[in-house]
Amino acid sequence: MENLSPLFKILAIFFLVAGTTFSALGMLGVTRLPDVYTRLHATGKVSAFGAVLLLVAAILITPLTVWKGLVLIIFLLLASPVVSHAISSAAYKTGVPMAQATRDDLAEHVQRGAGKDV
Amino acid sequence: MDLLDTTLLVVASGALIIHTIFLLMAVLRAWRGENSFDRLIGLDLTGTLILCILVLVAVVGTVSDYNMNVNNAIFIDVALGLAALSYLITIALAKYIVDHRMF
Repeated sequence: MENLSPLFKILAIFFLVAGTTFSALGMLGVTRLPDVYTRLHATGKVSAFGAVLLLVAAILITPLTVWKGLVLIIFLLLASPVVSHAISSAAYKTGVPMAQATRDDLAEHVQRGAGKDV
Repeated sequence: MDLLDTTLLVVASGALIIHTIFLLMAVLRAWRGENSFDRLIGLDLTGTLILCILVLVAVVGTVSDYNMNVNNAIFIDVALGLAALSYLITIALAKYIVDHRMF
């Protein structure tokens, strides 16, 4: 920590503020949005931007091997869309209602409400 | 500690406090959701926020030099295991709610 360049500390402050901002926007969306599908859109921001930017700051500051942090970043960037797609696909097949839906392009491909119940 | 170290410590501690408040909101969402998928979103968000808190604990412990004989990078290993388990739990529960069987 003592022999660290000041550039790394400034970059770490920037990434910490940016990650916390993305997490705050995601939690605002989870609190305020009306629907399961739109709430999933906000949850992806917390996972794909908040955690990844905080990890970039941790790689710059902590005595960590860079590859371990990069493995975690790549895993998060791969896993977050898969989790969002799994939850939204399951919610659509179960028949969770949408708020203010104007059109439903998936209705002619997937039978809605094919699952058992909510 | 000069000004830059103090700023870094204040920013990291503030981010840790803010993420703890977010974790309480996510647990409340998982406890009192309006349907099961809302609770599943809260569960996934809880895992992600615990991961963020572990990363921030590693950063705060490194910046503050509170306990010198603990390698603070060990929290990143815990976060790696937690990320893999949270991913599997969410996918398995989403499939289980739709199909009423796991495989």
